[in-house]
Amino acid sequence: METIQDKQRPSHLNSVSGGRRKPLHGVASFFRHPATPFLLPAVIFLFTLTIYPFVYSVISSFLNFSLTNPRPPTFAGLGNYLSLFADNLFSVAVLNTGLITVASVVIEFLIGFCMAHLFIAIADLKGSQLLRTIYILPMMVTPVVVGLLWSYILEPLFGVMNYLLSIVGVAPQPWFSDANTALWSVIFVNVWEWSPFMMLICTAALVSIPRDLYEAARIDGARWFQTVMKVELPLVRSTVLVGIIFRVIDNFRMFDIIFATTRGGPGRATEVISLFAYRQIFQYFNAGYGAAAAVVVFLIAMIFGTVAAKLLPREIHHA
Amino acid sequence: MRKIKLRKRLLFILAALLTLLNVAPLLWVAVSSLKTRVEIFANPPTFLPEVWRVDNYARLFHDNLPFLLNSIVVTLLSTLGVLILSVPAAFGLSTFSFAKKRDLEMWFLSGRMMPPVAAAIPFYLTLRQIGLIDTHFGLIILYIGIGTPLAVWLISSFMRSIHPAICEAARIDGCNWWNIFFRITLPLSSGGIATATIFVSIFAWNELLLPLFLTNRLAKTFPVVLTSFQGQTEIAWELMCAGATIQVLPVLILTFFVQKYIVSGLTLGSVR
Repeated sequence: METIQDKQRPSHLNSVSGGRRKPLHGVASFFRHPATPFLLPAVIFLFTLTIYPFVYSVISSFLNFSLTNPRPPTFAGLGNYLSLFADNLFSVAVLNTGLITVASVVIEFLIGFCMAHLFIAIADLKGSQLLRTIYILPMMVTPVVVGLLWSYILEPLFGVMNYLLSIVGVAPQPWFSDANTALWSVIFVNVWEWSPFMMLICTAALVSIPRDLYEAARIDGARWFQTVMKVELPLVRSTVLVGIIFRVIDNFRMFDIIFATTRGGPGRATEVISLFAYRQIFQYFNAGYGAAAAVVVFLIAMIFGTVAAKLLPREIHHA
Repeated sequence: MRKIKLRKRLLFILAALLTLLNVAPLLWVAVSSLKTRVEIFANPPTFLPEVWRVDNYARLFHDNLPFLLNSIVVTLLSTLGVLILSVPAAFGLSTFSFAKKRDLEMWFLSGRMMPPVAAAIPFYLTLRQIGLIDTHFGLIILYIGIGTPLAVWLISSFMRSIHPAICEAARIDGCNWWNIFFRITLPLSSGGIATATIFVSIFAWNELLLPLFLTNRLAKTFPVVLTSFQGQTEIAWELMCAGATIQVLPVLILTFFVQKYIVSGLTLGSVR
């Protein structure tokens, strides 16, 4: 696989760095390679820190392993995985996580795209830069605070949101405290926090579109809608895709907002995978069962990440 | 020409209104943190406190100052640790070519895919075994582990944009790699290092899940304290608002100064 960097870099620099043209092989050359002292500390540190938990998780997921039981764990085979897939709560958690992810990312993109256009339109006015910085503040807010903040504002009895709604004649909403509205409230809060991120990504993508393409579209008599569909969306696609992938991965491990607002409730209305695994381990002390859930989450994230990385054009990947 | 200008003005006003709407929740919490408990529950709500009081902050600090200090210590030390590991590693990845380099890059990136909860039990059990539960050290080690992949990714994409001819010239002049690293690459990639520092420290400052189960008393960080205001029966909203303000204010103020780096970091590697 050729990277952009290999293309840009004159080939003789590579030969300088390695001491010879061919890449080095073998243990001795590994230690002689000039890159080794720079990379080794980070690699060793990360390797010990990630490989051990990973192996440990995989092993415990095959054990009957309870943190409260003093006896050594026994082998469970695929038992944990089988009960996991039979566990209704787990499938609810997976479904909720999927729904939150898809709905949030779609709405975030729509809002982000529109806001990016708005900020680009006023970019040459004084103060627009400052305005944009203020606009992105929500994404800088600590996620757990995002949850607490909205559970305060959306409090059904005295919360300011219901008060404001009552002024314009809308009936008070139960928000987080009702099974029918809780999930959408979580999505709303998530969208509030992360739309600015999509705005930044869309802005970066939109400003890189060459001006003459717009000019050409205008001369061809394209309406704004056609310009968006035929010129902008195809051209921002790859950049926006990178942003979407990171948002999907983040949503998949969403924990803080849910923990601060609903803790999965009411009932199981907002149960998500991370919370499910957390509770199995630290409330019910089912380490083996929780580990199986964690391994499943990890596999989903890994498969998604690998597929996404393959789909991305090279230059974006290295940009 | 006039018409275009007017249209732009109107758009600016629209953007200003939407922006205000977007940050109104933050202002609401900051204002509420200065209200009394009684006033918080007032119906209809008062928009500005009747009397501006800092009592909530006094009470908050009285009980929780050590935990705020924990947050600061853990954030600073883990960010330092990330930089010590990741800057040389980024140099290694961006400057040299070697076999399996692409795999190594992907391996670094895969650190970002791991959901923290997947690492929860092994971290917990290991730290318990070696007596690092509820210590700063235990948290710092894990934060370094989570921050390093991100920082390597960001800094190495920055370093790649440095013209290789400069390194080459230095090399021909007899400079060794450590000299090139310290004298040429490091100063030229200060923007990337700044970006990584910002993202890594914000991550450490915000993290909830890891300290939630790895600390209980001594090394508890501030985000964990914030969740503890939600009691079983009632919620200390006035303390929560004060705590939330303390937690986010430093980051929001920082944002105004480092906006440039945040935007470049996001568009570089599309990190969160």
